[in-house]
Amino acid sequence: MVAPARAPLRADRLRALNVPQPVAVECDAEDRPHTVDTIVVEAVLESWRIDDEWWRQSITRCYHEVLLDGGKRVVLFEDVATGEWFAQMP
Amino acid sequence: MPQRPTSSLAACVWIPLFPLRCEEARREGLTSHPTALLAPDLSRKLWQVSPLARHTGVRPGMTVSQAIGLCPTLRLCEPDPVHYDERFACLLAALNEISPVIEAGELGLVYLGTDGLEGIYGLPEKIVEAIKRTLESWNDGPKDSFHRSIVPSFRVGWGTGKFTAWVAASRAKPGEAVIVPSGGEGKFLASQPIAVLPLDPDTHRRLRQLGIRTLGALAALPEEAVTAQFGAVGRKLWRLAAGQTVEPVVGGVAPEPIVAALTFFTPVGERDLIERAIDQLIARALKDPRRIGWRVQAVRLVAEVEGGRSWLADILLKDPTADAARIVAPLRTRLEQAPPAGAVTRLVLELTAFAPGTTELQLFARDAVAAARAGQQRALANAAREIRQRLKRIYLYHVIEVQPWSRLPERRYALIDFEP
Repeated sequence: MVAPARAPLRADRLRALNVPQPVAVECDAEDRPHTVDTIVVEAVLESWRIDDEWWRQSITRCYHEVLLDGGKRVVLFEDVATGEWFAQMP
Repeated sequence: MPQRPTSSLAACVWIPLFPLRCEEARREGLTSHPTALLAPDLSRKLWQVSPLARHTGVRPGMTVSQAIGLCPTLRLCEPDPVHYDERFACLLAALNEISPVIEAGELGLVYLGTDGLEGIYGLPEKIVEAIKRTLESWNDGPKDSFHRSIVPSFRVGWGTGKFTAWVAASRAKPGEAVIVPSGGEGKFLASQPIAVLPLDPDTHRRLRQLGIRTLGALAALPEEAVTAQFGAVGRKLWRLAAGQTVEPVVGGVAPEPIVAALTFFTPVGERDLIERAIDQLIARALKDPRRIGWRVQAVRLVAEVEGGRSWLADILLKDPTADAARIVAPLRTRLEQAPPAGAVTRLVLELTAFAPGTTELQLFARDAVAAARAGQQRALANAAREIRQRLKRIYLYHVIEVQPWSRLPERRYALIDFEP
C-alpha cells in the first residue's frame, strides 16, 4: 500500500472505490442478461467467473460485459450465492 | 585524476542583473522601460529589478501586485533559466579564449586566472583590454540590442586573489575596469565598505553597530578580537579585509573524449531505429560523470556498415550544450541528407570537445524545478484550506492502492482524505 505523504492512514477514513451498484437485470432463457434497468441488452460481449475467498466466506460472481441499446458498455455480475445483480467497472 | 589548474592573479568579469540583461538583449524596447523579472518558481514574486524600476520604489522580493501598485508601467518578464544558462555558457566559452583557467560564480560572474598571461598580452592593463575586447565582440544575437543591454553593463576587476578582483570589479564603472596592482591590495581594500564582504545580514548589522564601516576599520582590529566576537566567520572576514587571504582561481580540466557504442544483433537499415539508437547513445554519454560541469562542443558519430564500410559525421556545435535534443538535431540532419550506404552493424558516438559549463547552473535549474514544485504544493494547500473553510469539510481525496492484485475490483483502490 502506498501511503500518502502527509495524511495519516486510518481505516475508518478509507472509502472503497468501484463499489458494485445494484441493478435490475432480467435474463433470457439461457440465463444471460436480457435487460438492465429496463434497457435492452444488444449483445453479451464477454463472460467470466470469479471464485474467491473460498477459505472463509466464498465469493462467486458471474461477470458479463454487455452492450446496451444505445451503445453503452456495462459490466454486470450476478452474485451466485444470493442471485443479486450488480454493475461494476471492470 | 588530473590536477585542476589554479591561478593566484585573477580577473573578475561581472555583469550585474545578468538574467535581466539577457531578456533586454532579446526583447526590443525593454531597456527604456521599468522592467522586472519574475522569480523562477510559482511564488510570483520579483527576482530582478531594472534600475528604472528601482527608482520607482520596486524591489526584488515584492509581489506583482505590490510592484504594479508602485509602478503601473512596470513590464514583467517570465524567467527563462535555460536561456540564461546558455548565454552564460557562451560567455564562459568566449572568456576561455583568453585564459584556460576559468571559474564560474553565480550567473554573470566569472573569474579568469591570469598567471602567465603577461607573456602573451603584457601588463595587466593589456590583459584587461583583451578581456574587454572579447566581451564587446561576444555576441551571436541581434547586435544592436545586445550592445545596448549587455555590453555597457559589464565590469572588470583585476588583482591578486578572487576577493580583490571581485571588489575591484564591483567598484568599476559600467564598461570599465579597476586594476589593483600587486602589493596595493591592503591600501585598496582599506577604503572599501564592509558590504563587499560575504556577510549575512545579522553580521553586517552587528559590524555597523560596532561602528565598523570599512574593511580598513575591520582590519585595524586585532584578529583575535574579531574571532572572539564572530567565531570562524569573523576570522575569515578579517583575513579577507586585511588582504591576507588570497583565494586562487580554480579552473577545470576538460575531460577526455567520452565514448558510447552500440552493436546491433542484426544489421539495421531503418532510419527510425538508427535515430533511436543515437538518442540512447547521447543520453548515455551525457550521463558520464566526467561530463558534469562541461558542455559538449564537438560530437563524432561513426557507423560501421555491412560489408566493412563505414560512415562518419563530425559535428561542431555553434553553442556548446548539455541538451540531448540540441546535440542530436545536427546528427539527424546529417543522417537524413547523407545516410549510411547500407545496413549499420555498430554505432559509436564520441563527445570529443567540451566547453566549460558550471555545476552551479545545473543546480540553479534544479532549484528552479524544486521551487516550482514547492510552489505548487503551497498553492494546493491554500486551495484545500479555502475549500474547507467554505464547505466546512474537505472534498479532496487521494487515490491509494489497497489490494491492487485483488480479483475483486472494489478491493483494489480506495479514497482517503487529502490533507496537504
